[in-house]
Amino acid sequence: MSAFFKLLARNRLALAGLIVMGAVVLLALLTPLLPLANPDVTDLGNRFKPPLSEGALLGTDHLGRDLLSRLMWGTRLSLAVGFAAAIIAATLGAAIGIIAGFYGGRTDNVIMRGVDMLMAFPYILLALAIVAALGPGLLNALIAVAAVNIPFFARNIRGITVGIAHKEFVDAARLCGMTDTRIIVGEVLPNVIPVIVIAMSTTVGWMILETAGLSFLGLGSQPPQADLGSMLGEARSALITNPHTSIVPGAMILVIVMAINLLGDGVRDALDPRLKSGALSRPMPTTRVERGAVPAPKRNALLSVQGLETQFHVKNRIYRAVGGVDLTVEPGECLGLIGESGSGKSVTALSIMGLVASPPGVITGGAVYYKGEDLIGAPYEQLRSLRGRRVAYIFQDPLATLHPLYTVGDQLIEAIRAHHPTPRAEARARAIELLKSVRIPNADQRIDSYPHEMSGGMRQRVGIAMALANDPEVIIADEPTTALDVTVQAQILSLLDDLRRDRGLAIIFITHDFGVVAQLCDRVAVMYAGRIVEEGPTKAILNRPAHPYTAKLMACVPELGQGRRELAAIPGLPPVVDALPQGCAFADRCHKVQDECRIGDIGLRDLPTGTRVRCIAPETTVSEAAL
Amino acid sequence: MAGYILKRLISAIPVLFGISIIVFVIMAMIPGDPATAILGSYATPENVEKLNRDLGLDKPMVRRYVIWLGNMLQGDFGRSFSLNRPVLDEVMDRFGATLVLAGTSFILCALLGIAAGVVSAARQYGWADKAITFAVLLGISIPSFFLGMMMILIFAVQLRWFPVSGMWPIYGARDLSALISHLTLPALALAVVATGVVARLSRAAMLEVLRQDFIRTARAKGVHERSVIWRHALRAAMVSIIPVLGVQAGFVLSGAVYIEMVFQWPGVGRMLVDAILKRDILLVQGGVVFVAACYVGFNIIVDVAQSLLDPRIKT
Ligand code: SF4
Repeated sequence: MSAFFKLLARNRLALAGLIVMGAVVLLALLTPLLPLANPDVTDLGNRFKPPLSEGALLGTDHLGRDLLSRLMWGTRLSLAVGFAAAIIAATLGAAIGIIAGFYGGRTDNVIMRGVDMLMAFPYILLALAIVAALGPGLLNALIAVAAVNIPFFARNIRGITVGIAHKEFVDAARLCGMTDTRIIVGEVLPNVIPVIVIAMSTTVGWMILETAGLSFLGLGSQPPQADLGSMLGEARSALITNPHTSIVPGAMILVIVMAINLLGDGVRDALDPRLKSGALSRPMPTTRVERGAVPAPKRNALLSVQGLETQFHVKNRIYRAVGGVDLTVEPGECLGLIGESGSGKSVTALSIMGLVASPPGVITGGAVYYKGEDLIGAPYEQLRSLRGRRVAYIFQDPLATLHPLYTVGDQLIEAIRAHHPTPRAEARARAIELLKSVRIPNADQRIDSYPHEMSGGMRQRVGIAMALANDPEVIIADEPTTALDVTVQAQILSLLDDLRRDRGLAIIFITHDFGVVAQLCDRVAVMYAGRIVEEGPTKAILNRPAHPYTAKLMACVPELGQGRRELAAIPGLPPVVDALPQGCAFADRCHKVQDECRIGDIGLRDLPTGTRVRCIAPETTVSEAAL
Repeated sequence: MAGYILKRLISAIPVLFGISIIVFVIMAMIPGDPATAILGSYATPENVEKLNRDLGLDKPMVRRYVIWLGNMLQGDFGRSFSLNRPVLDEVMDRFGATLVLAGTSFILCALLGIAAGVVSAARQYGWADKAITFAVLLGISIPSFFLGMMMILIFAVQLRWFPVSGMWPIYGARDLSALISHLTLPALALAVVATGVVARLSRAAMLEVLRQDFIRTARAKGVHERSVIWRHALRAAMVSIIPVLGVQAGFVLSGAVYIEMVFQWPGVGRMLVDAILKRDILLVQGGVVFVAACYVGFNIIVDVAQSLLDPRIKT
């Protein structure tokens, strides 16, 4: 609870709302004690005195009554009525919601049907009907406004109650033979009260506004009694000649409702855990870059990643997802990037074209050279023109990565036209061709399908076709086969392999599966805790894994192409990337760990086998590793 | 598609029944003898007797409901005693004016609200976002009737850009330009609150969508950020914005009551308020049922629009 208030206090706007509202409520409470003129005494000789007149700070109204006094008394009345309506609506609504949610079944059905019916009305029609039946008057307006808001509370509270009614502690209470009433009061109510409070804090402003509105229409408070709404209503006829009589009550309603809204927003934000974590930030078009010195291009590779460092900044914690990675690929080459989930392989891949979600992602160091041109920190337009045209991505899970509301044809055509402005019909023909080239049967019909109408394998083919749309030179495939079953997986792999041979594509293939690496990749880089721990020709590493981690990884893989290939079998967990240990990150899980492993940075060393390894005591034979 | 529309139309029937029952029950709360209450100052013994016969007011509740419903289904909403004309005729006349006002406001709030929400989300935490967020807060806090009065004061009285009130000029042609100049202020005043709500929810929906994987895919394809926002993200966000629009239509219709009073707009809202003050019960009853039924119809249109947008909804 105190944490909640702290959060609320940190939100300056909410605090301002709280202070204003507190002041207004305090003044309203003190009104009878203040030395104010009688609000109802008319003085026709002193009509429409302007504000700041002698004896009338805010002037007088059309009957010569003191506006300041009327404002204070009116505010008092409006607040009282608004809060009363909120409390009545919340109490009755909560009662209905709890009964419906707790008992469920028929009771629930009948009640919620009724609630739905009530919600089918524009709210004012219902309020007007009630006032029409009961007759104009402040009490009847209050009843109308409360009644109109009951369904809202009932629906919200019911949702929460349904969740609670099936929790163990409620079942336990039932088994103990507690009566329903006792369970509701003792177990359910304490859990729904916070929700009721939030719902009230967000609606009380509305209720004050609605009662003021009914009074404004002449259906609420009747003269001489006046709330803010009826003050405004009475002043309307003098709007043009004496606007101050309208502005005074109107501005007061505005101030009250605004303060309540600020406060309500603050309460909601403080209680909404999603906003607390800052997760609702939208990723920007390119990843944020904050790097110091830029490493010079080493040699003229097609694509080379040098000393890449990518971090996630969440609140004041820093997660080092990628901590200095070097990679290169040449045309026609396939590089495998392998590691457990969380090892930083996907973040490395997404960093290349600035696609790491940012916030929270930040590229803090290194460079990515495409044909000698640095992509990190390149202006947006330059990066965009390379995305998909020169370097294309294939993602995992194409159901989430394809747009659900456009046909696959539309998405392919868009990919083509993003870089080559072609007439639609031409682009469509090309899209059909692309679908054929990834071996989708009936391509000219499938092109008009939506992603959800296709099988997983077909969708992934669409993903590949989309990557191929502009004849890129590099394809970065981020676990493209993980979600697929083994046969489809094999088909997709052989498709990628053919494309690479036919078109001379360079492929960076991200996976956690050594079987896939063996089938497709010329070279492989093994990642652990954001760094490459071993790198070299696939054959050499498969035959002789030098890093203990690589060896363990391989030992976990069953026969190629059989069953699930998961890496869960290595005992222990990788270190959390915001708390990387000194020295070797694998030390805690390594069976060969020595004291030296935990001191200082360990560099990549060349081995005679042609591989490079980041370990002070590399494995020497396969048999040793497999133990 | 036709099948889906038919299905939605059929599912509206119980809702319409529910509405009629609710209105009937509320009206049955009127204290005292119903015929005398309905007739008010027109209550002569002959009138009371005739009304009792026509509406079955002396019969049990259920029978009264059946008679009332039967009459309505035949287009007989009763007679307004204060206006001395059939309720339905009066309601239809007035509803046209309300439709012009509320319809314009609804279109305004949808366009402006969505645009503001999208810009706000795309520039999250930038100055545009902050300005919009503040304007939204102001917009949803200001009572529309007060806003309307201030607009009259500034734009009609001081600046003389627009007429003070009414739907048509007292003298002169009733053409489109006259309508637009009379419509501008009330339509804007009415749209403000709903625009704020739509903007707020559109922003939230956009922020939610912009974090989805398919947005990253669009960016990876090299689609321009403008299209990423306005095509990819907005299209997906519309799935959650459209239901909000449906709800806001109800709020616009509700707010129209105040705006019609402030601007002397000859719509159904003002008619209802006048009818309540004159205790013309049948006119209130008929007006409420008619408008509520129209709103149910509008919500069917919203659902159909939703199903056109989202191919995953089974039609
Ligand atoms: S450096 Fe030491 S702890 Fe790390 S992998 Fe090599 S042997 Fe194991």
